[in-house]
Amino acid sequence: MQPAQKRFLIRFVLALGAFYLLVAIQPVNDHVVVPFTEFLVRISTALLAAIGEKTQSAGTVIQSPAFAVDVKNGCNGIEAALLLVAAMLAFPASPKQRALGIAAGLAVIQGVNLFRIVSLFWLGVHYRNLFELFHAAVWQTALILLAVGIFLAWSRFAGGGGRVEARA
Amino acid sequence: MKLALRVLLGFVAGLALWWSATPAYNRLLAGMAEGAIRAFERPRATRLYADDRRLVIDRADFPSTSDRPSLPVDDLTFDVILFLSLAATTRGLSRDRAMKGIALSCCVLFALHVLAVVANVEAFYATRLGAWSAAHYGPVSRNLWATAEHFWRFVGCYAAAFLLWWFLVRATVPVAPTASRAPSGRSSSRAASAGGRARASRPREKG
Repeated sequence: MQPAQKRFLIRFVLALGAFYLLVAIQPVNDHVVVPFTEFLVRISTALLAAIGEKTQSAGTVIQSPAFAVDVKNGCNGIEAALLLVAAMLAFPASPKQRALGIAAGLAVIQGVNLFRIVSLFWLGVHYRNLFELFHAAVWQTALILLAVGIFLAWSRFAGGGGRVEARA
Repeated sequence: MKLALRVLLGFVAGLALWWSATPAYNRLLAGMAEGAIRAFERPRATRLYADDRRLVIDRADFPSTSDRPSLPVDDLTFDVILFLSLAATTRGLSRDRAMKGIALSCCVLFALHVLAVVANVEAFYATRLGAWSAAHYGPVSRNLWATAEHFWRFVGCYAAAFLLWWFLVRATVPVAPTASRAPSGRSSSRAASAGGRARASRPREKG
């Protein structure tokens, strides 16, 4: 393994561990993660209402007469966001490139995650037998693949940026 | 477009493999995890067996009339789909080094799945059995096992699949420098190197 690869590995593991510990702390969970999840639930409920589902939200729960889900950690996109941010911080790039990548990446991930929540609820109402497969495997994998894809695209851009900086 | 197709093919293949092989895989996982747990427990009381997509925890000292708890295993093992989807994006996948990387990664993933099951069972013992848990697990070990279980489910499984692909599969495939991406400065060289690819001066293979 080359030194740069070792650096990337060590930084990635350290950043991921630090972010994990941060979100695992109870006050952070209670005052940041849960309110954020409730915000996602309110938007998802509005989107479901817009496509004709009779839903209402209560905290982190979306419910209708036919189905209900409790959106928890692992379904709020935070795990994909942590991976993306840790990888971008570990990769050699300028602070500006990192800030741009993180902001754009998190926006895309959360946008897609809203679609995930809405589609899972819709599946739960109309195709209950498919819900668990899509919940446990399909959407989880797809969201992480999206995060990795964003990171790879960004790393090409950041690598090019490094070349420009080195010439300047 | 080709890359998206590769990801999709890898994803479908991984999903089909994971879905169909899970019952058999869970039996193997139960046997290995049971051996790992019993190696460190006195008396050796834990029995694990697969029940379709769940693992049932049995103990010699559980009352014979009580229900047996079980763990969902899908959450612990589905990262193989992520790994195979990522592996499918790798150009020159048929090269010996790439195939060896995939085989080695699968072995490491299996070992991590065994450890994840061990952590889940120990976390169950440490936090879910009331007075028995308090009598047999101190605060430190309770937090340790619960954190290990949560870490794997929350980010560990994804990070493992990503890092195994990044370092054991993607890094084995050489990439040729192109006009727009040839490293011409320190920063760029570091970036290309951290990107995990092998020597940039070697020709790229058709994938």
